[in-house]
Amino acid sequence: MTKPLEGIKIIDFTHVQAGPACTQLLAWFGADVIKVERPGSGDVTRSQLRDISNADALYFTMLNSNKRSLTLDTKTAAGKEVLTKLIKESDVLVENFGPGALDRMGFTWEHIKSLNPGMIVASVKGFSDGHHYEDLKVYENVAQCAGGAASTTGFWDGPPTVSAAALGDSNTGMHLAIGILTALHQRNKTGQGQKVAVSMQDAVINLCRVKLRDQQRLDRVGYLEEYPQYPHGEFSDVVPRGGNAGGGGQPGWVLKCKGWETDPNAYIYFTIQGHAWAPICRALGREEWIDDPAYNTALARQDKIFEIFGIIEEWLSDKTKFEAVDILRKFDIPCAPVLTMKEIAEDPSLRASGTIVEVDHKERGKYLTVGSPIKFSDMSVEVTGSPLLGEHTDEVLAELGYSADQIKEMHAARAV
Amino acid sequence: MGKALDGVRILDFTHVQSGPTCTQLLAWFGADVIKVERPGEGDVTRTQLRDVPNADSLYFTMLNSNKRSITLDTKNAEGKRLLEDLVKVCDVLVENFAPGALDRMGFTWERLQELNPRLILASVKGFGAGPFENCKVYENVAQCAGGAASTTGFRDGLPMVTGAQIGDSGTGLHLALGIVTALYQREQTGRGQKVLAAMQDAVLNLCRVKMRDQQRLAHGPLREYSQFGEGVPFGDAVPRAGNDSGGGQPGRILKCKGWEQDPNAYIYFITQAPVWERICDVIGEPGWKTDPGYATAAARLPHLNEIFTRIEAWTMAHDKFEAMEILNKYDIPCGPILSMKEIAEERSLYDTGTLVEVEHPVRGTYVTVGNPIKLSENDVPVQRSPLLGEHTEEILSDVLGFDEARISALRMTGALGVPVQIAAE
Repeated sequence: MTKPLEGIKIIDFTHVQAGPACTQLLAWFGADVIKVERPGSGDVTRSQLRDISNADALYFTMLNSNKRSLTLDTKTAAGKEVLTKLIKESDVLVENFGPGALDRMGFTWEHIKSLNPGMIVASVKGFSDGHHYEDLKVYENVAQCAGGAASTTGFWDGPPTVSAAALGDSNTGMHLAIGILTALHQRNKTGQGQKVAVSMQDAVINLCRVKLRDQQRLDRVGYLEEYPQYPHGEFSDVVPRGGNAGGGGQPGWVLKCKGWETDPNAYIYFTIQGHAWAPICRALGREEWIDDPAYNTALARQDKIFEIFGIIEEWLSDKTKFEAVDILRKFDIPCAPVLTMKEIAEDPSLRASGTIVEVDHKERGKYLTVGSPIKFSDMSVEVTGSPLLGEHTDEVLAELGYSADQIKEMHAARAV
Repeated sequence: MGKALDGVRILDFTHVQSGPTCTQLLAWFGADVIKVERPGEGDVTRTQLRDVPNADSLYFTMLNSNKRSITLDTKNAEGKRLLEDLVKVCDVLVENFAPGALDRMGFTWERLQELNPRLILASVKGFGAGPFENCKVYENVAQCAGGAASTTGFRDGLPMVTGAQIGDSGTGLHLALGIVTALYQREQTGRGQKVLAAMQDAVLNLCRVKMRDQQRLAHGPLREYSQFGEGVPFGDAVPRAGNDSGGGQPGRILKCKGWEQDPNAYIYFITQAPVWERICDVIGEPGWKTDPGYATAAARLPHLNEIFTRIEAWTMAHDKFEAMEILNKYDIPCGPILSMKEIAEERSLYDTGTLVEVEHPVRGTYVTVGNPIKLSENDVPVQRSPLLGEHTEEILSDVLGFDEARISALRMTGALGVPVQIAAE
């Protein structure tokens, strides 16, 4: 089977997380991703948060698998020449430099287009072009704060809270990958490349769409009936933090299970879905609530929802999270255990599906990584280890037509 | 300028959030998205969390713009035949039914391939293959199963869900990525394929760095977590890190002026190593520049609580925008906590098209989040969501080439919904 992106060559100027998450995914889909790194140091995450001294950090290895590494000093004339050749032969250039950096290197959009009219230049930005903060450097949590996620995450009486999920970094990378593939599809028809950009703030806002929905509902009616603040608390003119409440119309909460006193993850998420009310009552042994008008509609339950959650917690007190889910799923009640990273790392189903993959690395041995979350019937994603710094420099230069002597000279001149 | 996905036709069987997010994005790239809805009620979100009586809710209107709506009864024999006709002329079928539902409708993958070998079948699922594959999954259930809840929140508090819809919208985006990949491959192979994104997997894909930390734990404590500086030992699973930053640069959410009344009077502050000296100057602790207890990043790790308390004394004297303006001058990375109200009122987000105001015939003007992915050669304005069945006749005539007589005959079969009774004169 051929891979979807076989034959696509990508110049990868990205570093840290957002860009590498994007290009790693494209590499898994079969693109030839050439990671261009600074001679000597390379991507800063090679050495950040190291767990094994002198081996590339997991931060790097988990975001750069299936790529080739080329070290290149783009400030030297020879380095610029190599880049020019690469641009002529590639399909996509991905970058997450600071604004204007590519221009200062001498590779403006006009210049790149003149070298290769089919080239797609894809950029990760902190804020969109034209935004009054466009010159700011943005990091994961800054994006979460500027994109509305922090303001709407956490408890109403506590501080804004950031999410462990990389809404700013990896998520922006996924958005950029969609943009690149869309542009590739269009190029098949028009022959022309184009610029693709995604800002981290926008990518966060895109996942907080329902909170913008809630802002407009609040503006119009003054309350949000599915938030825990309703009907007892008060609303201001801003969407509040909703704790662990469900975002749709179905009340839900994180509930304690057996062992919560010592295990910070002995919890399940429990949703009281309207049509599952009778099965919930049966599962809890509270059949009398099924027809009780004080309980049998969502509206009737609203003002005693935490009392009901309390009773469910009593029922859960002698069951582990896994036992509870096994009982509840028989009744078709939506719920899930709060899984730790340890449990996920050991989960046999996730291994079988290729979502969690064990990969070999030349220096560090085996490590786990998160594989492709997107599954295709005509492709199984093979994840290989991340490249050592400059591992493929000579190989890539030879493919560009440089002779062994020329390559030796470039090494001597420290262009590569 | 053109439309990136011009000529791509999508049969959209999705409802609620994950699927509609995916197809809305493809519509913004120029695909013709035909939303198939049940006659009478349609997508359940049309009526969920309504703010205007009798008008489609914002839940629906913000996830279904630029689509066309056709009402179709798939249990009716004529309706089923019509659906087969549509499958033959579409490029992609997107669905987020419960497992097996499409098969029960008679549309197995084999049957679909028979009807249209170029068809891409894209599905959202809760879990991939395994013990939970038949469970129904909702946003927060996915967050719990994908490792996000266990690692979000404070160490001494509950696992916490995030306000960002990483389970629903996040999975929809992953599915869109799969669809454009399969469309690209189809140019070479001429064949469609099945694409699947599970909500648990999509969440986990964004929690990659926590899987990194799980493996680092085997080699010693996670030094960038606040609990390391506080001397709290680590267990064998990645703990919740509060508002710590995930990378190597310590960061926190700090109070600003007015925090006692305003739950969003906070700023994210990163004590990035290269600007440490400037931070010392701004907060009035110039001695920390050279004091060996504070001068290096490693030396600072055990005193992060003390350092952030001192910085907070400074941020509390400024409102979040003032603080940001001052810190920006020194290139100190920071960000104000923006509320949804502040975002909704942010003019520059409208200038970039990230926020868009749309006119709706029943509910009036509303604000929606536009396309976050900017393509220089994609000129597709954001349009409002369709009314239920608004384009039924248009689709039958444009897409399937039915004439008026055939459409009215079809209407009488009930395939498009209960036939309208015309009173005898």
